[in-house]
Amino acid sequence: MTVQELLGRFHEVAVHPAAQKDALLAQGKKIVLTAPVYTPEEIIHAMGAVPMGAWGGDLELENSKKYFPAFICSIAQSIVELGMKGVYEGVSAIVIPSLCDSLKVLGENWKYAVPSIPFIPMTYPQNRKPAFGQTFTLAGYQRVIADLEKATGLTFDEAKLADSMEVYNQHNAAMRELTAVLADHPEITAAQRSDIFKSAWFMLKEEHTALVNQLVEALKAQPAGAAKTRILVSGILTDAPGLTSILDECGLQVVADDVAAESRQYRTDSPAEGTPLERLAAKFCNMDHCSLLYDVEKKRVNLIVDQAKSLNAQGVLLVLTKFCDPEEFDVPLIRRACQAASLPCSVIEVDRQMVNYEQARTAIETFRDLLSESM
Amino acid sequence: MYTLGIDIGSTTSKCVILEDGANIVASSLVVGGIGTSGPEQALSRVFQDSGLTREQMDGVAATGYGRNRCGETELKVSELTCHGLGAHFVFPQVRTIIDIGGQDAKVISLDDAGRMQNFLMNDKCEAGTGRFLDVMANILCIPVNDFGDWAAKAKAPASISSTCTVFAESEVISQLAAGTETADLVAGICASVAGRVASLAKRINIVPEVCMSGGVAQNSGVRLALAEAIGQPIEFSPLAQLFGALGAALYAYHKIK
Repeated sequence: MTVQELLGRFHEVAVHPAAQKDALLAQGKKIVLTAPVYTPEEIIHAMGAVPMGAWGGDLELENSKKYFPAFICSIAQSIVELGMKGVYEGVSAIVIPSLCDSLKVLGENWKYAVPSIPFIPMTYPQNRKPAFGQTFTLAGYQRVIADLEKATGLTFDEAKLADSMEVYNQHNAAMRELTAVLADHPEITAAQRSDIFKSAWFMLKEEHTALVNQLVEALKAQPAGAAKTRILVSGILTDAPGLTSILDECGLQVVADDVAAESRQYRTDSPAEGTPLERLAAKFCNMDHCSLLYDVEKKRVNLIVDQAKSLNAQGVLLVLTKFCDPEEFDVPLIRRACQAASLPCSVIEVDRQMVNYEQARTAIETFRDLLSESM
Repeated sequence: MYTLGIDIGSTTSKCVILEDGANIVASSLVVGGIGTSGPEQALSRVFQDSGLTREQMDGVAATGYGRNRCGETELKVSELTCHGLGAHFVFPQVRTIIDIGGQDAKVISLDDAGRMQNFLMNDKCEAGTGRFLDVMANILCIPVNDFGDWAAKAKAPASISSTCTVFAESEVISQLAAGTETADLVAGICASVAGRVASLAKRINIVPEVCMSGGVAQNSGVRLALAEAIGQPIEFSPLAQLFGALGAALYAYHKIK
């Protein structure tokens, strides 16, 4: 397939996840929803079910407000809204990790708001690095496995988990290479880049890896497009068409991201040592550089600056999901680090219910002007 | 060489014609912003006052929230960039600009050459904006332009929430019911706006000198309260509300020069 054909395929999957779900169900596959942010997809994959990401949607909240206070993450609210509207019907279960207060609330509310789809909690430890953190994680995975077996009727086999972890490690590698290649191809728009990452949530990883590898090879064979203003984007979720279109209209190229729904997923592989479940637990415990993962050293801040510098990004755009406390806590640290590194940094606030992006447009246009040497 | 800057805001429309990027030939300010006949009226007035025509303009730039709906030009530029340019033109020594417009507040940092270094915008909320003052003026039945005079007469400024326009509105009504003096209420409202905007400004390193731009700059009650809140004197120009249009005219000049 050509670059445009591949991008078209990613776009189709990214914008029609319900069609993807229906097609998988028609093939007789079981589907398990994976809520943000580090759900152990490999376990679901190893059991022969298809993990599908549930990051909510850009829609008006009509029913879910019944279960939430006014000022809470719109991603969590819209996941419940979609569940209550029946969009997820047909799936076998939803796994929701406990990595922030909103996700904890999401899980508890889900039980009452969407009783037709079983809720499976994954309780992660705050302290991941000590041995007891890994033991705790492993115990959590065993609980998830037991619940999944009950919800899907499928059985778990550790040997198959090892195979699935290899599939996921290969996908991680493909996504990392893709990110590096995209940094040299400004002709790929922010919207198209977003489609590639978003589609990964709705496809079997081996199928997504194959398409990504094709795209990487096709891009390597074509000359780079005209240069744009290079930026690093950070945040939880940046897939809103209203946002990516503004980035594209402003001539901004996303050369790297620190986005929870994008590159943060692909930084850490399952290690080689240990039993398959121990290796999977070690994968989570080895993770870092994320606002949702407890880290007193806040290594994420330096990673953002270092990545931006190494890729010659001219600025850092923080896309703050409204009412996301973990992200908000990091903003002053990131701004300070960027300032110390002479790296312009700007913050815009978004949520799942935004229909008018004019204030964000003004901020992004101004940021573009600030980065532009012509002014 | 003539350049025209058009600033279409949420509540007003402004135009400035510049000659050679240095002399203001004419300006206009009309109540009525995006989605009204305000922009056409402002254009008509600036051409009438200057004796010039659209055809004589060598460059035109639009700014403000209505910039993308302005059919006069392909040159669109954000109002923060324009307020920075306009403020630097009038006050070359200014390094921090606080712009309080009809629907939002912004803080802009400039370097010694007048280039923008940093900026912040308020979140999507009317508290701390011109709209907040309009709502309060409506409750008190006094023109918002008189707020400065009323605030100057205050003996014990009332405490008004700086968090939310809706909450503040009910607080003002409660204070009226309790018999609080109008002057004290106006001073409290000005301090409320100042407190919210000062919080925003303090997130950026406030480097003197400081000036205000936008319509609320005309309000001496807010201006003085804000100066006290940030601990810095605030420069003021009668052109403050035209800084956006002036900056757009300068932008157009630099683009075609």
